[in-house]
Parts: sequence; C-alpha cells; structure tokens
Amino acid sequence: MSAVGKNIPHDSARGHVTGESVFIDDMPPLKNELLVDFFPAPVASGKLKSIDLAEAAKVPGVVLLLSDKDIPGHKHFGPVFQDEHLLVEEQIVYLGDPCVLIAAESRQAIAAAKKKIKLDIDPATPIFGIEEAIEAKSFIGPLRTIMRGEPEKAMLAAECTLSGEFVIGGQEHFYLESQAVIAIPGEHGHITIHSSTQHPSEVQAMTAEILGVPFNHVVVHCKRMGGGFGGKETQAAQPAMMAALVASKTGRPARVVYNKDDDMRYTGKRHPFLNRYTVGYTRDGVITALRVDHYSNGGCTADLSLAVMERAMLHTDNAYYLPNVHITGQVCRTNLPSNTAFRGFGGPQGVAAIENIIESIALHLGIDAMEVRRRNLYGVDDRNVTPYGQVFKNNVLPQLFDELSRESDYANRRKQIDAANRTDRSHLRGLACTPVKFGISFTKQHLNQGNALVNVYTDGSVMVSHGGTEMGQGVNTRVRQLVADEFAIDWQNVYVTTTSTDKNHNTSPTAASTGTDLNGAAAVVACELIRGRLTAFAAQHFSDATAGLFASPGNIFFKDGHVYDDRVAGKKITFKELVAQAYLNRINLGERGFYTTPGVDYNRDTGKGTPFLYYTNGAAVSEVEIDRYTGEMRVTRVDLMMDIGQPINPGIDRGQVVGGFIQGMGWCTTEELKYGPGGELLSYSPTTYKIPNISDLPAVFNVRMLDNPNSTMSLKRSKAVGEPPLLLGLSVWAAVKNALSYVSPGTIPDLQLPATGEQILMLMTKLKSDGKANQPPLLPVAK
Amino acid sequence: MRDYVLLHINGRREEVHGEQLFQSLTDFLRYDRQLVGTKVVCAEGDCGSCCVLIGKPAGEAMEYRNVTACIQYVYQLDGCHVITIEGLKYAGQLSCVQESMVTCQGSQCGFCTPGFVVSLHAMLETSPKLTEPDMRLGLSGNLCRCTGYESIIKAGVETDIAKHRRANELYPPASFLGELKSAVGESVRVEHADRVFFKPTSVTEAVAFKARHAGCVVIAGGTDLGVVMNKGKLTPTVVMSLAGLTSLKNVQADGKTLSIGALVTLAEMDAACATYLPEMSRLLWRHGSPPIRNAATLAGNIANGSPIGDTMPGLYVLDAEIELTGSNGSRRVNINAFYTGYRKTVMTPDELITAVHIPLPAARDAYRLYKISKRFDLDISSFSAAFWMRTNGDVIESIHIAYGGVGANILRLRKTESLLIGQPIFDALIDRAAASVRSEITPISDVRGGKDYRLQLGENVLRKFFAELQVDAMLTPSPSTPGEGGGEESAAIHGNSAAQKNPHPALSRSTGRGFKANGQEHA
Repeated sequence: MSAVGKNIPHDSARGHVTGESVFIDDMPPLKNELLVDFFPAPVASGKLKSIDLAEAAKVPGVVLLLSDKDIPGHKHFGPVFQDEHLLVEEQIVYLGDPCVLIAAESRQAIAAAKKKIKLDIDPATPIFGIEEAIEAKSFIGPLRTIMRGEPEKAMLAAECTLSGEFVIGGQEHFYLESQAVIAIPGEHGHITIHSSTQHPSEVQAMTAEILGVPFNHVVVHCKRMGGGFGGKETQAAQPAMMAALVASKTGRPARVVYNKDDDMRYTGKRHPFLNRYTVGYTRDGVITALRVDHYSNGGCTADLSLAVMERAMLHTDNAYYLPNVHITGQVCRTNLPSNTAFRGFGGPQGVAAIENIIESIALHLGIDAMEVRRRNLYGVDDRNVTPYGQVFKNNVLPQLFDELSRESDYANRRKQIDAANRTDRSHLRGLACTPVKFGISFTKQHLNQGNALVNVYTDGSVMVSHGGTEMGQGVNTRVRQLVADEFAIDWQNVYVTTTSTDKNHNTSPTAASTGTDLNGAAAVVACELIRGRLTAFAAQHFSDATAGLFASPGNIFFKDGHVYDDRVAGKKITFKELVAQAYLNRINLGERGFYTTPGVDYNRDTGKGTPFLYYTNGAAVSEVEIDRYTGEMRVTRVDLMMDIGQPINPGIDRGQVVGGFIQGMGWCTTEELKYGPGGELLSYSPTTYKIPNISDLPAVFNVRMLDNPNSTMSLKRSKAVGEPPLLLGLSVWAAVKNALSYVSPGTIPDLQLPATGEQILMLMTKLKSDGKANQPPLLPVAK
Repeated sequence: MRDYVLLHINGRREEVHGEQLFQSLTDFLRYDRQLVGTKVVCAEGDCGSCCVLIGKPAGEAMEYRNVTACIQYVYQLDGCHVITIEGLKYAGQLSCVQESMVTCQGSQCGFCTPGFVVSLHAMLETSPKLTEPDMRLGLSGNLCRCTGYESIIKAGVETDIAKHRRANELYPPASFLGELKSAVGESVRVEHADRVFFKPTSVTEAVAFKARHAGCVVIAGGTDLGVVMNKGKLTPTVVMSLAGLTSLKNVQADGKTLSIGALVTLAEMDAACATYLPEMSRLLWRHGSPPIRNAATLAGNIANGSPIGDTMPGLYVLDAEIELTGSNGSRRVNINAFYTGYRKTVMTPDELITAVHIPLPAARDAYRLYKISKRFDLDISSFSAAFWMRTNGDVIESIHIAYGGVGANILRLRKTESLLIGQPIFDALIDRAAASVRSEITPISDVRGGKDYRLQLGENVLRKFFAELQVDAMLTPSPSTPGEGGGEESAAIHGNSAAQKNPHPALSRSTGRGFKANGQEHA
C-alpha cells in the first residue's frame, strides 16, 4: 500500500481549516518582547546627510533607535553581489530604504516615533524606468549572451521579418502573510530566529554577519509560510536582520511584522522586462532567425536579478526550435525596491517574449497561431537541441498539442469565433494556445543539493526534517509520503517537523520548483541507509540455523507496516517491533541523507551547458471575451494539460497547477503595478492591486495531467510542478491579442502585458480609428 | 446607561471596558484574547482573511452574518455574538466544511483558509447547500493566492451538508438571547483618556449628542471608517454608533418609492431591490463583497461621499431624496443637491442621515447601471454610470445621466441630457450625445485609470446603453422599436438585460458574465 501517488491531505490541512496552524505573528508575545519597525526614506534617491533622533527618543515606549553606524558586523551583503545595505549609510537608493530602526513597547509608540524622526537629505535625480536606465547606462552586471548558428546571416536570408518592442509588467507576490520574524536572544551572544522564509540558511548567514558572530551562533526556524512565491527567498533576510539587531542590542526578544501596505511598497517584485526583437521566418511561419535583447528592471541592487535574467534568456526558446538565435540580457539598475525571485524566476518573461512573437508571425501570415506553434515545436528525435546546447529529451509536446487541441475542440471553436466576431457587435472573442517547457534545476550548479535528517523512534514513528520550507506547496506532505514508502509504513506514522538550520545546514532556498526533488531525494537516501541497517538486523532476526535459514538480507522486504523474509511464508515482524529490537541491539536508527542533482552545469560566459535535469511541460488553450464598449475581459474557457510525470501527490500537484495558472493569469491581466512620479507605488494594497478573485476563475476550466510513464529523470518518476503552470497564464494574454486582431484584420495589435481592461479598450479604440493605415502589410514580403 | 460593551465570543460572555473598546475586532481577538486563527492581511476589508460570523438577536434566534473583522471596531458590537474560526468546531470535531476543505486540498499555505471556512459557514446560514455558482458570488470577498480557488469550490460542493450545524445549533441562543436583546436596546457611554464612545438608543438622543460634540464621528457599518482608522488617517476622539437606533433598520416600499433606513445594510437593501429595483440589486452584487455588504449601509455610502461610490449614480438619476434629521426635525434633500464639493455636503453639524427615499422607475422606463473596474468583483469602480430614460414612441421624453469617477462628485450630464430630450433615437443623435459626453466630463488620471480611458468609457457606455435598449426592444416586440432595428441574431442573444428577466443575480453571473447575459453561448 504505497503512499506515493496517493492524494493524501496536506500535512497542515487540519490546522489550517481550524485556524490552529501557527504563523509567526500568531506566536504569543514573549515576556519583555519588543516590536520593531523601520523609518523609510521619503525619496527614491539622494544623500542622507544627518539623522535627528532626539525627539523620537523621548517618545514614551520607544526603547531603541538604531542607524547604520550602530551595526556591529558586516554592513554590506547580498545573495550575489555585496551591494545591499540594511540601513542607509549615505546613499538612499529607493523610496522606503530603511534609515532608522525603531524598537518600542507598542505599535502606538512606533507610530509616534515615526512622526518625530528628522532626516536631512540631499535629493538626487532618480531613475525608475528601463528606458531611462538604458539611456543612462545604469546597469547591474554584464551583458550576457546566448547564441547559436548564424543569426545575422539567417536574418538577411529570411523570407519575412518582423521587429518590435514588448513591455512586460512586474508582479507583486501578494503572499498573504507579510514578511514576519521573531528574534530571541540566547546566552553567549547566540540568537534564535523564527522566520517566514524560503531560505533559512540565508537568514542565518545574513543575521550572523550583520551581528558579527559566527554562523553557529544563529539558529533559524521556519515552521511554515503564509505564501512565499519567491518573495521570501532573499527578502526575508532584511526583517530578520532588523529583529536580530534589536534582540542582540537589548537582550530582549524582538518581532518584525510588516503590514501589507509597507510590504507591498518596500519589498521587491517580479522584474518588469522590455525586449526588442527581430525575427526572421519562412512564409509557412517557421522561424529561421531570432534576435531578442532583454532588459529587466532590477531595482536598486543586484539581489537575484542576474539569475532571473539568465533564466529568462534560457527560456526565450520556450517550446520552439530556434536554429539561428542571438539572445542578450542586461539588468538595469533603477531606484525601485530591489526586484527579486517570483515563481518562474524570469522564465515567464522569456516565454512571454517568444509567445508575443509567435502570435505576431501568425497574424502577419494569416496562419492560425496554433499551427505556427506546431511548425516551430521542438522535435522528438531531431531539432531537439536548445540554443544553449542541452538536448531536450523525452519531448511530449507534440503529443500534448495533439491531445489538447482535440480535447479543447480548438478547430471548431476557432471557426465559431471567426463567425461570432464578424457578427457580434457587443462582444469580441479570442482563442490561443501557449505551451511551456520549463527547465528544472537551479542554474547555479552548487544550489542543486539537499539534505535531510530521518529519525526512527523506538515506537516505530518517524520524524523527518529537511532543508526545504513549507509555504503551502506541500513539500512536507510529499516527503512524508516518500519516507513512509521507504519503510512501507502508514504515512500517518511519519511526521515532518519544522525546518531549522541546526538540523539541516547549508540548505538551498526552497525555490526553482526543486523543493521535493532535492529534499525528498535526500530523505530517501537517509531512509535507504536506515533501511539497510534494519534489513541486516531483520535478516539476523529471521535466521534460524535449525530450519536451515542463514541470515540473508537479500530476502528481507518491507511491506504494509511489516518486515518479511520471503523464504518463509507467514513469518513477519511489525516495523514497530523491529525498530524496538534494533534499538536494544544498538542499531543506529537515525541518518542524514545528502543528494546532489547529477549532470547539471552551465557556463554563463559562453551561454552553453546542460543547466537542467529535465523539463516540465504543458500547454493551455484559453478563450476570452471582451466587451467592445468597455474593454472588460472575461476568461470564458481554459483547457490545460500538464506533463508532471507520475505525481507523488496528485491532489496537491493539481493545486499547484491550478493555482500557478491563475497566478500567471493575474500577472497577464489585472495585476498592474502603478507608480507615482516620485517612485511611490500607488497600487500598494488589495484595494488597488487586483489579484484574481474567485469569480475570475474561468467559467469552464478543464485541467488534465498527461499520462507520462517515461519520466525517468527524477524522483519516483515525478516532475517538479511549482513554477511551470504559471507560465500558461500567458495563453490568456495571447487570447486577448488574438481577439484584438479581429478589430482591424491584418493589423497586429500592439498589446503589452498585462492586458488590463484599460489597455484593451484603448487599443481597441486605436485599432478601429487607425484602420489599416501605417500597418505592416498583410502578406509576407518576398525577397 | 452602561459604561462597557457587552458581547459574546464563541459562546463566552465578555464585558469590554475602556481602552479595549477603541480597537479593531481583529486586534482585540488576536492580541487581547489570543484568538489568532482570525488572520489580518490587508486591514482594509479587501481580502477576507479576517472573516468572522457576527450574530445579532433577530426574533427568537440569532441571525449570523459574515463580516470582515479587521474593519469592525469593538465598540460597534454591543449586543453581538462573534463566532471566530476557533468557534466552528462541533464537539471537538471538524465541521463538515472543515472536513471537506481537508479532503479536497482546499488549503495550501493556510493563511486565507480560516476566512474561507467562515465564509462557507456563513453561506450555509442562509442557503441549504453550496453550489458552484453561489460560491463564485458568495466567496468573492475572500482572496486566495495559492489554490486558484478550484479546490475550495470543490470542497464546498462536496461538503456533507447532512452533518452541518448552523450557528444557532452550535450555540443554542436560549441562554444568552435575552441579555443580548436587551443590550441592543440599552445606551452605552464609555470614556477613556480623551476618547468618548456613545451608543444612543433614540434619534433624538443621537442628534442632541452630535450637536454637542463637534467633530463627532458617526459610525454605522464602519466599512469605510474602519479602513481610514486602520491606516492611521483618522483617530476620532468622539465616536457615536448608530447600532442602537433600531427604528432606522426599516425598509419600506409603496410601489412608488423605496425607503431605506440608515441602518439597513447593503445586503438587506439588496433583498428589497431584488423585488423593487432589480437593476440596483444587480449592481449591489458587485458593491464590495458579501462580508462588506453585510456591514455597510447605503447611508454610510452617501455620507462618505466618494465620487466613485457604487450606488451613487443610480440614486442621482432617480432623484433620490436623503432624509436628514437634526435638532429642528427632519428635512429631505435631493441627492443631486446634496454635495457641495469633494466629500462636502449640505448637512449641518447636528444632522444625521436617517433614511434614503428612492423613487422607483415606472415599468416602461429604462433604468441601467454600469460599473467598470479593473477586476470584476471586489473592486472600486474606475468609472460608473447610470441612465434613466422615458420614451414616447421613439422619442426621448426625458433622460437622466449620471457618471461616477469623472470628477470630484458624481456628475449629472445635463448638457447631454438636454441634447437628447425631445429627440427621436437614431445613430447620428447617439454620435452627437457621445461627443457631448466627452466635452462634459473632466476625469483625471489616477491609480484606477487614465483620463483618456475614462473619457472613452464615458462615450462608450452611453453607446452601450442605447445599444442594449435596442436589443431589448427586439426581444420584446413593440411598435416603438427605436433605431434602424439592426443587429444580428447573436447580438440579440448577448445583449438582453439579464436583470430584468432574471432577478437573481447569481443566475446572470454563473458563467461569470456579470452585466451581460445568461451565458447561453456554451449552452
């Protein structure tokens, strides 16, 4: 009775539905605990000349005010470059840049202190947009390139070409639990931290460094997060450092919990991108040459921007074979909060670039975009090498396209839409299919490691801890299932406990969809080692010289909570009894497992390598309906199909697929970051920033997993599922572009992302009034 | 006169005194009572993570409604029973909703989950089962960032309803109903430091108090005030709650006028509108969200005076009258003359809004309301519009047009109205009216939309109004069909006004098509 493959409930579900699950700010305040907040810089760029804290210090209840000069340890940090500061030393680099830490007995005291802090600032001229940054050559890191074939020559020889510019908006994570942390001082300068973080080891390292203590003085615990989505990969560190500084200075526990407004205003988001492209293709729509230059808005510091750009470049091919291709990527430095990881990690922006191009090619040639996509899909046995040289194995995309177009009734619906759009004066419809081929592994090789600790207790129950963190995605539930199966015991006898850096050290962030792949595999390794010892012990247990049975580990097997010797029918011992006896015989019942992903590497200087262990694939067909008068758009039907191998937990994986898709749909439609002239975020709360609502769920929503038994590259033939489905939200955007193409047939709608109702209405209006003037010719230009 | 607020929380009696009153319900629950299952995300009623059931005495039982606790202040809750997520288990066991949420994987990170569970329970207070269309409406006040909602809907559909226990079964009211009933009818006055809270039990008392305390903040549902107070933009020293003025809970309709008392919630108003003013009912289903409508009042919406208040344009075109009661008695002011500037009104300091009287359109009148927002549900309008029109044959006898989101107040488009009045409806007239709209409105650009967008909407929504009338007219054969009668069959299918033929908004919205039609396109 295997647990793997079963839809068992999320391990926190009962706590979640009763409100008993404990999140950071649910922990009752400790005696003497302080609340901590920061004073945000009121300008996006400038020089902080002096800080006057005299009046603020007099506010009753204010215990401590800290500025940059009070930091005992490292003042500069960052996951890649050391270009970040916790508190402004001199240069203010974004609006909200923390200038002063305030520790107080109450929130009221903090609010009062904020009114009394005076800063003397020499404001400078900030840069906010990508174009401004390009103009000012304000960049972070080098220009990177991925190139194959002879793109320039092929472009000159191409039968048709198109070029353009495409603007892709950012996205707020909108994890429901804002950044939150509690730091508790211990003896001898040690500190314990409870953090809502995807990366406990980074929180540990950053706080140790800012305090100037060795890493072994800091223990970071993360029971769970109320959502992460990448936003707590690096940026949980700052509030943790704030709390730790106060705890260390005062010897009192300290808590930082951002309110939603501040969290949205002052933390990083998905990177906005701008890409400029030229594509060459045949009259049949087959791409022969492609040049894409990506620029991203990195915000004020590097954070993970270079890695995000790298993944965008590595996904610019998406599902399509590009024989001659030149992709560049440049991160821009601006005066916005530093943009950071967000589910998909640049992949969505890379894929958006090519999907926009494909839609345009289709409209240019008058060929259905689905057909253009098929013609460019990676092949199964040939045309299957990516621009960076990795062979795309086990390609199920052609099969997926066949099944999906049949199940979605694509061809018939296309005809119906063609007809309806000719006659319906009130509404406009569009239909599009976009695929995803998402590379699984960190593109930084060293992060592809995981460790897990498995303890078997004498009552037969098992406790596991691993380096992954639980943010709702179900990593703990999947690890539970994996471990249960290794010992053939009931999954309820396995408990996955809080992630903490004293149990699992030097962990990688729970990111890149790899949480289960890395940590689950490490847990399995640990179980295998314990099981090996238990097997040897069981062999001894079953041996019986009189009966002619010598101890034979090869004949021992674990099944249904029991251990058997297959040479003797009916002879068995319960797992519980076996471990109890093993203990008495001084058998080690605990183990650490360690796992590294084999065969992955990438040279970012040459743009070549095999960065991914495998790809997770899928496709979605979306239909939209637009009110011709108001631009209001509704998603009327979505058919979505994913290849996620053999899921470890089909129910949880389906939740990842549906949730990811809807989150991607939000990015593509209603989620719009709007800034004021000073760089202040105007859409800083759910009142103005609109993530999908339950009523935005497509009216018809068919989700199916492709049955793919051939996924052999990963754990139990499963595939990582966290990020890939998000990219299918682009099918909704493409459907909008498709709908708008009916307004002025032959004109390619210049739709940017997100496709808000406002953009749709304004574009519809423009398309109608422009008619066919000044547009690219309908037929390809023969050369 | 009591000097504390009496309420029950999960069946436990609480007397709340002094400073504790002057905080939000969520702060009280989480920090004073360590009931931390109720989560706070936005603190502005826009995510639903803080939903709780608030019960009020109603006849021989309690009536429980879902409310966002983050924007309720403790002083509003005198005589209420609050049931939080912690109070929904039955005999230590998960409720059927909770059980179903577990088995259907209805939660991922878990932070929004308590709010969804409470909202599902709330739906079962008034409806026998949980259907997908109902949940698409009933859960629109709850945001989830993880699940994409599918599994939550599944959990609702698969809930074992036979095992469900309503709040009155979970908490048999016999032991506390009487005390809470009398509490509602008792006045309360609490002073703490420089702050005063007063709950009068008669309008006279209320008006007298208001006259004595300049700057007194009047609170009914508190769904706007709660946000402003949470964001630190307002810390009123004197607050008066209208919760004890039970006489203002009246809804009256005499066939010509619908009167809505100042304490009538939008949810209660919706129930009346479903019968008397279905178009308004349709709009109300997009006004905030169910937990907001369970607390918010029409009078509060008017007093708040936002130029994008959803109900406003629809009241303007009907010449609704606002009943103001002050020291010198009551008077009525046409809403078109009520505002004197941005959030400024003709009210004198002692006056209260006690009711709103809405003249009902005649059966032959056209009455249409439009709301355009970035997201369909739980969003504030970028633009709103209302039309009331009476025709004689194909000639426009009278027309009223009011737009929201195009200026400091709701704007009556008098110039465009006069251009249309007395004219037969034909395409060129609509073109002229559309051009007139553009010259008459002066929208600005803000976070909810650009100026050009609003100008375009101003023009297009007028066109949409006439186009929909034309389609309606085709569906209801009449000798006075306006215009050239063009429009193809498919347009006819799409364009009918769902509300007028189908008063239950859920039916018109079950395919997510909202203001349009019944979604026959997939039938």
